[in-house]
Amino acid sequence: MNKNRFFSILVPFISVLLAFLVGCIIMAALGANPATALGALWKGAFGNTRNVGTTLSRATPLIFTSLCACFAYRCGVFNLGGEGQFLIGSVVCCYIATQSGIVGLPAIILCILCGGIAGGFWAAIPGLLKIYRGQNEMIISIMLNYVATLFMGVIYTNWLREGSVPQTMSVPDESKLSRLFGLRCTSAFVIAVVIGILVYYFLFYTSMGFQLRAVGLNMTASQFNGFAVKRYILFSFIISGVIAGVGGSAELLGTQFRLINGFGAGYGFDGVAMALIAQLHPLAAILVAIFFAALRVGSTTMQAATGVPTSVSEIIQALVIVFTVAGLAMVKLPEFKAALERIFSAGKEA
Amino acid sequence: MEEILRMEHITKRFGEFYANRDINLSVLKGEVHTLLGENGAGKSTLMNILFGLYQPSGGQIFLHGKPVAIDSPATAVKLGIGMVHQHFMLVEAMTVFENIILGDRNTKGIFIDRNARRKEILELSERYNLDVELDKPITEIAVGAQQRVEILKALYRGAELLVLDEPTAALTDIEVEGLFRIMKKLVGEGKSIIFISHKMREVMQISDRITILRAGETVRTVERGETTGEELAGLMIGRELAPSHYAKVTKPGAAVVSLHDVDYQKKSKHNGLNGVTLEVGRGEILGIAGVDGNGQSQLAQLVTGVIAPEGGSVDMKGSRVATFSPNGFILENVSHIPEDRNKMGLIGNMSVMENILLKETGDPRFSDAGGWHLKRKAMRTYAEQMQQKYDIRCTSVAQESRNLSGGNQQKVILARELENHPDLLVAVHPTRGLDIGATRFVHDTMISARDAGCGVLLISADFDEILEMSDRIIVIFEGKIMGEYPGSNPPIDQISLAMAGK
Repeated sequence: MNKNRFFSILVPFISVLLAFLVGCIIMAALGANPATALGALWKGAFGNTRNVGTTLSRATPLIFTSLCACFAYRCGVFNLGGEGQFLIGSVVCCYIATQSGIVGLPAIILCILCGGIAGGFWAAIPGLLKIYRGQNEMIISIMLNYVATLFMGVIYTNWLREGSVPQTMSVPDESKLSRLFGLRCTSAFVIAVVIGILVYYFLFYTSMGFQLRAVGLNMTASQFNGFAVKRYILFSFIISGVIAGVGGSAELLGTQFRLINGFGAGYGFDGVAMALIAQLHPLAAILVAIFFAALRVGSTTMQAATGVPTSVSEIIQALVIVFTVAGLAMVKLPEFKAALERIFSAGKEA
Repeated sequence: MEEILRMEHITKRFGEFYANRDINLSVLKGEVHTLLGENGAGKSTLMNILFGLYQPSGGQIFLHGKPVAIDSPATAVKLGIGMVHQHFMLVEAMTVFENIILGDRNTKGIFIDRNARRKEILELSERYNLDVELDKPITEIAVGAQQRVEILKALYRGAELLVLDEPTAALTDIEVEGLFRIMKKLVGEGKSIIFISHKMREVMQISDRITILRAGETVRTVERGETTGEELAGLMIGRELAPSHYAKVTKPGAAVVSLHDVDYQKKSKHNGLNGVTLEVGRGEILGIAGVDGNGQSQLAQLVTGVIAPEGGSVDMKGSRVATFSPNGFILENVSHIPEDRNKMGLIGNMSVMENILLKETGDPRFSDAGGWHLKRKAMRTYAEQMQQKYDIRCTSVAQESRNLSGGNQQKVILARELENHPDLLVAVHPTRGLDIGATRFVHDTMISARDAGCGVLLISADFDEILEMSDRIIVIFEGKIMGEYPGSNPPIDQISLAMAGK
């Protein structure tokens, strides 16, 4: 295997180890036995099928948003609006699920479709502004996150408020996504994984996906070689938004059932970080999302069993991101490459 | 007159390549000394050594007769050397005044004594007729004024010897006149100027002495009064006609592409085209000669559909082109070896295989179901065939193309562009930076494409390449066609004069 490639795959694993190492030091400093604490963390996340279900359920929205980020980045544009697209998808989904009167499977299909379309529409705004007006897509997509969050606020405080509580009414039971094997995790997880596989197939096994990646890696050369660069940019934005929008709908129909303050908060940027750790590989993004969900779910058990606060798990999560980003930058440094050359050539001589 | 600068036996080597070899240069106090030479003759390298940006591999620099070591631009400034780069080094958002005092250590405590500085600058500007508006931001003043700011900046830092690197490149004719008045004033006051240019008219107008560089070596230093533009052009190009390796075609086939009176950003001397009419026939190589930056890039982008003309028309195989897009031209079977292979030709982070097949993945040979399933195996087999055929040296076709040498990168592009028998090949500086072996390979491949009936438009700043390859030669200068010459027994004197704008 290519040496550079090997190291960029190695970096996330080393980063995880280092992050846990630092986490263990903190645990020890707090007076807990790191081994017991980590054991509790593991048990909480994967200890029994019920916990596995919870972990996968927590991972599901993260998978959607990280796939959303992956797809746009592969085409060289930075869609930081995954959160807004996720929320707009869930808002539209909520409206249809509670107001249309349709229930059951037709409602589920309709809701997810419309949620995806809404997400795609929300992502098309920065896309169009970028290709026709040269506006910075990052800023516009971030700003649209706030618009979407506040719009959702109008929905649950006014239009679809249930009684005096600032939350919407619940999705009818018939329209909820079915649980897998009676666990907390629903068919939303299956949808997420299927979309991940589809994205992978599209990017690496179709002519269009190939051209999209080419645009992402070198726009000028792609233009000189006759690719419709602008069309690819808009396309990647829209598809990326669709993925987030479907994610929002699936989260609503599978886990939350109603819109409420804080729904989906933070998923957008979590997705961006996870996509970067996965180095924009859609299948790796699924694994990274599950890993982060496990840290989050397991930390509650850890806190209950050993008294190590859940924030230690948050520190570990943050450190994984920091170490990976730094590590990936490091392996690209010419000094690092030169040092590697020396080590490898010395090894050969000996 | 007193000698201010002497550079003796300056040599600068990059690996095996000599950018400067045993160069001697002597500049007197109060003279305009021109460095004349083609692109790549070593002018910039020499000046970068003088300004401390490069360290010479050999040789010695003397200032006022004393040997000096110039290890950084800061040292150069301290020694009284000022440089005005071709691309100005100004902070655009700051005012003229702020730009001039930028980095000045002459402060009162931690504050800048603005009034004193201002007085000093105004004195300088009056003395040398360097008319600038001190309180305007750089963005709001014209290019000529920005240049005056650069000169003023250098003088403010105490420059006795000014290096002006192609200072007229971005100026209008009137601004050039103004610059020359300032230069005369400066040398009248005892400053010395090294003027870099390859425009014969200007060189003959302003210089006191002229040193001609060619291929990294000094050819000769001459007094302006003792030479002519013709002689200078001859010395600069400096070559006898070497017989070409290739047989020349005298009767090309029907026109593949023809341009009629094409304009593109007509007013720009360096990035525009002005009334260009030309035709490339099947089975011939039309060489476009000219010093870099006279509209060649625009010409290449126009005949590959990247930009659209603002006036005139383009006919492709007899029918008028209505819309200009790279894809449209590719469908017309136009191939392109772009001027910057890394930026425009290759996707550096993709493999050799992916780059060879860049435009072909939708083809039924390489994918099923209309592009929805790539045939990885067929792609790999094809790429390996191309690797053999075009002698691409790589560890495997899965290697990233950015890790290949320049010659092998160019072969990847050749494999992609020539394998489908194009009707027109547009090749821009196809051998720039390549070694002799790779150059020969590229040339042979282009000749066999020509012999197979492809029309070739060869744009190159390498005059040898133009002479070697072209069946016809057209010279371009400031976006205009200066003349057309036969490829067999070309009149070198006339061509070199045309390249210098005469």
